[in-house]
Amino acid sequence: MIYGKYEETLHLVMDQITGELSEYNEKIKKETGDGIYEHLLARVKSEDSMLEKCVRKGVPQTPESALRIMTDSIGLRVITRFRDDIYQIIDYMKGLPGVQVVAEKDYIRHAKPNGYRSYHMILDRQVPYEDVDGQNPGHYYIEIQLRTIAMDSWASLEHQLKYKKHIKDPELIGQELKRCADELAGCDLSMQTIRNLMREDE
Amino acid sequence: MRILLAEDEQQLSRAVAAVLTHMKYEVDVADNGLEAVDLAASNTYDCMVLDIMMPVMDGIEALTKIRASGDVTPVIMLTAKAEVSDRVAGLDAGADDYLTKPFAIAELAARIRSLTRRMDSYTPKVLSFGNVRLDTTVSELKAENSVRLSQKEMELMELLMLNPGKAMTTSQIIDKVWKDDPKAEEGVVWMYISYLKSKLDAVTGNLVIDGEKGGPYRLEES
Repeated sequence: MIYGKYEETLHLVMDQITGELSEYNEKIKKETGDGIYEHLLARVKSEDSMLEKCVRKGVPQTPESALRIMTDSIGLRVITRFRDDIYQIIDYMKGLPGVQVVAEKDYIRHAKPNGYRSYHMILDRQVPYEDVDGQNPGHYYIEIQLRTIAMDSWASLEHQLKYKKHIKDPELIGQELKRCADELAGCDLSMQTIRNLMREDE
Repeated sequence: MRILLAEDEQQLSRAVAAVLTHMKYEVDVADNGLEAVDLAASNTYDCMVLDIMMPVMDGIEALTKIRASGDVTPVIMLTAKAEVSDRVAGLDAGADDYLTKPFAIAELAARIRSLTRRMDSYTPKVLSFGNVRLDTTVSELKAENSVRLSQKEMELMELLMLNPGKAMTTSQIIDKVWKDDPKAEEGVVWMYISYLKSKLDAVTGNLVIDGEKGGPYRLEES
């Protein structure tokens, strides 16, 4: 067992933050009629994937590696309808008790050259359970990706390009994917603007 | 269509302005080159007619300054002298055509029509201001990031980039971008300005559109 006796805690830490996000979603829904996110995915990285990743990174297959060197044992993906909702969720998460931001990358304001857009964040969360260093309260990493529905469907298509072995004319596909990413970004921004204008009029 | 006429001979100026106004052009008149430069900096014209011999600042110097500001509006020079050197200087300074005095006003009007008809082809395919580029061939707005624009967004962005720093009123914008849509009004302009404000922000460049609902709007470096 790569996570040793901490596997159960990983699930508790994950359920805590997904519970908080879901409560926040309900609260916003009551206020505005619309949830803050469209859907939320959470997972504890599978035993096999974590073992494979340790090999790939050349580190021993131990709970210490999995919980201290790797930061993605707990992973969340939050998909929103609108662009500004992403930033509102980020603000909410930064304000949760015991949360410290370890790293964050805004690939929305700074898109990758291929057109990839998403907000990445690694949190260190203090929780009332023992961690791999034997401390209690302990510290667990949580990796979070936030993006709009449009960015998410783009990412899933781009993911296929990356892992498919034989693609005809990958250069053209890459170029067209980039164009789609920029068109989707344009659309996301227009929809955000329309929503803002509608809310101003209320 | 709006014309800038810079001519210091009052009689001629009044006559030309009257005929052009009768032809449904809007005409702004400047008495000298400096006035012409100031008017060109604050308004958008479809064509400018500049006399070469003018007090305070001559037509060539005025044209040089207008072109240096990035203005690509078609320009017709008027010259009293039939000297080749004057015409060459005018064309080299960025004039698109010239007329030697005395001229028939009908010919001036025909040349204005010809130049404004061709104006589309004068507009460069890729416009840039600050660190933002607009590639009109693929409707791409680009600084650090890029986004694609819809047709009307692109036409509006093109208009703003061809007139950087100038205050554009809602009616000027409708005349240029929504000329084929008689129902267009303030609301649609504000919506498209709002789109472009958010897209300029999203490409992480250094341009902003200044101005609130109702206008006027001004594209400037932040």
